[in-house]
Amino acid sequence: MKIVVLVKEVPDMESKFKIIDGAKIDESQIAFKMNDFDAYAVEAALQLKEKFGGEVIIISAGPDRVTKEVRQAFAMGADWGIHVNDPQIDAGDNFVVSSALVKAIESLGGADLIMTGVQSEDYQASLTGVVIADMLGLAHCTNVVKIDVAADQKTLTINRELEGGLNEVLEMSAPAVLTIQSGINEPRYPTLPGIMKAKKKRLDVKKAADLGVAELGEAGSKTKFIKMFFPVSDHKAEIIEGDAKTAAKTLVDKLKNEAKVI
Amino acid sequence: MARIVLIAEQRNGKLSEATLELCKAAKEIASMVGATPAAAVFYKDDSIAKEVAQYIPEVFSVVDAKLESFSADLYAQAVKAVVESQDVKGVLIPHSYDGVDYAAKAALAIGAGIVSNCNKVAFEGGALVFTRNTYNGKIQEQKSVKTDKFVATFEKGAFDKEAAGAAGSVTAVSASLGDSKRKIKEVIATMAGSVDISQAKIIVSGGRGTKEKDKYNDIIVSLAKKLGGEYAASRPVVDAGWTDAARQVGQSGKTVAPALYLAAGISGAIQHVAGMKGSQCIVAINKDPEAPIFNIATYGIVGDLFEVIPAIMEALG
Ligand SMILES: Cc1cc2nc3c(=O)[nH]c(=O)nc-3n(C[C@H](O)[C@H](O)[C@H](O)COP(=O)(O)OP(=O)(O)OC[C@H]3O[C@@H](n4cnc5c(N)ncnc54)[C@H](O)[C@@H]3O)c2cc1C
Ligand SMILES: Nc1ncnc2c1ncn2[C@@H]1O[C@H](COP(=O)(O)O)[C@@H](O)[C@H]1O
Repeated sequence: MKIVVLVKEVPDMESKFKIIDGAKIDESQIAFKMNDFDAYAVEAALQLKEKFGGEVIIISAGPDRVTKEVRQAFAMGADWGIHVNDPQIDAGDNFVVSSALVKAIESLGGADLIMTGVQSEDYQASLTGVVIADMLGLAHCTNVVKIDVAADQKTLTINRELEGGLNEVLEMSAPAVLTIQSGINEPRYPTLPGIMKAKKKRLDVKKAADLGVAELGEAGSKTKFIKMFFPVSDHKAEIIEGDAKTAAKTLVDKLKNEAKVI
Repeated sequence: MARIVLIAEQRNGKLSEATLELCKAAKEIASMVGATPAAAVFYKDDSIAKEVAQYIPEVFSVVDAKLESFSADLYAQAVKAVVESQDVKGVLIPHSYDGVDYAAKAALAIGAGIVSNCNKVAFEGGALVFTRNTYNGKIQEQKSVKTDKFVATFEKGAFDKEAAGAAGSVTAVSASLGDSKRKIKEVIATMAGSVDISQAKIIVSGGRGTKEKDKYNDIIVSLAKKLGGEYAASRPVVDAGWTDAARQVGQSGKTVAPALYLAAGISGAIQHVAGMKGSQCIVAINKDPEAPIFNIATYGIVGDLFEVIPAIMEALG
């Protein structure tokens, strides 16, 4: 099977965030990593390749540093990739980025399966998979927690996660776009030989012009970013001060005598 | 007059709470922009449309045997049929499992920009401004839409539930629906387990901050036992196999409301909070003072759970 996995780089959410001019985060303070959900997608693709053969192709849109996450996917076992590296694309909204990802997928002559994460940890949009499926005219399924591919490599039996621990079991056909939910598998760690091999794997770099992307930057976007800020909550916890011992004592006292819950 | 239309959501014929929240949202947004609020219901008959009409003055009903269960393809087509036959300015969709499965497709079908996962909306300088969570809830952003029409999906709980009132009208909208690209075989329960944490009075819950299976067991399970309560977890702990799925709290797990919910090493993502915000007393232990969990906790300790929890054990005697 020919499987494309879309991998996004996101900040480590435990980083110390600083906002510059209400417009962007101060990236100099941030450690970056692969979007969690995308690691599950890479693993799901690799497991299907192990079963049916074929290739796993990684596509990522972002600045120079995202090669780190693409190489990480290579080290896990993906075969090669496309790095869509153009600030005009990064400056666009989800519609612009998705349009570019679609062009990159089309440049491959399509794929049997295209996998994304359920959501990016930074934008939390849950849009990309459905948008690219629609643009490519493909079937899709979101929140996938189980994939079963029949011997014909076409018939897919999928579990779609629903609220409260329910799953919808459904059947569909490849080619299709699946957005992968956490917990579907256990993403493998890159091995040392994997890391060595990853360095030599092919990574094509494409600009908007190479891909023929017409929608660029803010002008090509359908939405407009206004500002970002730290949430102001009208409720804040009563923070119990002191070292661990003192705080613990105070807490136990409050739970017994103030909240009366223990 | 232009309309703000929410798309109702049902499972097995039962209306979701999010639908009632969006009835409220549609009314608020409609009054901001000088439009009228309406709902669209897609179902095998008009029973649900009639039910929704108790909450909103105007309901558009697309009836088709194919709409008995949810289909992303058919919902996108039905949204398009409603938008093409009526004067619609905005479409509101729950940011739920079904909602995220078709909202973007519906937006593309009607040529509208989409802002997803919103929790607030305001009208400023002649434009609707949508507020949404980003960076795991640590940062919020505001966006507007540049297209004539908009689609917005809303987090659960962003609006209060609308109360039933005088019955509104139900208008049939015809749509020639194609076929769904997916065929539903069955719906199964995956979290059956021997324990029902929703009955516990005290819950000690551990998150990714507990680091590994043995430590989770040492720290979280021990404290739960000491307090005579149950232990529970956030999703990453269950994903990693440190504890059973039946102990997962949140949108995709259990909903609990104990007297005491102690969250250790849990950041407070909206999907987790959805399952425990009704708890009477919430204690958060987290080393990150900016963790969103502190915004819903009663008491908070900023510190290392591996120091704080043993100290609590000691203080309990
Ligand atoms: C569709 C969907 C459904 C979901 N359903 C659920 C659900 O049902 N339940 C759920 O929980 N999640 C759910 N999630 C996932 C959710 O978005 C979050 O990713 C998840 O809740 C994060 O879990 P966490 O807080 O344990 O981990 P993290 O967000 O990684 O937070 C770990 C926290 O531990 C703190 N920490 C680290 N070390 C220490 C230490 N030594 N001492 C003290 N604190 C420490 C950190 O500061 C951090 O705040 C869902 C996501 C999606 C997209
Ligand atoms: N810049 C990008 N490059 C590659 N994949 C992306 C990019 N942005 C989003 N994706 C994919 O789309 C998924 C959902 O992202 P989002 O729609 O932003 O929540 C992610 O998990 C990725 O798989």
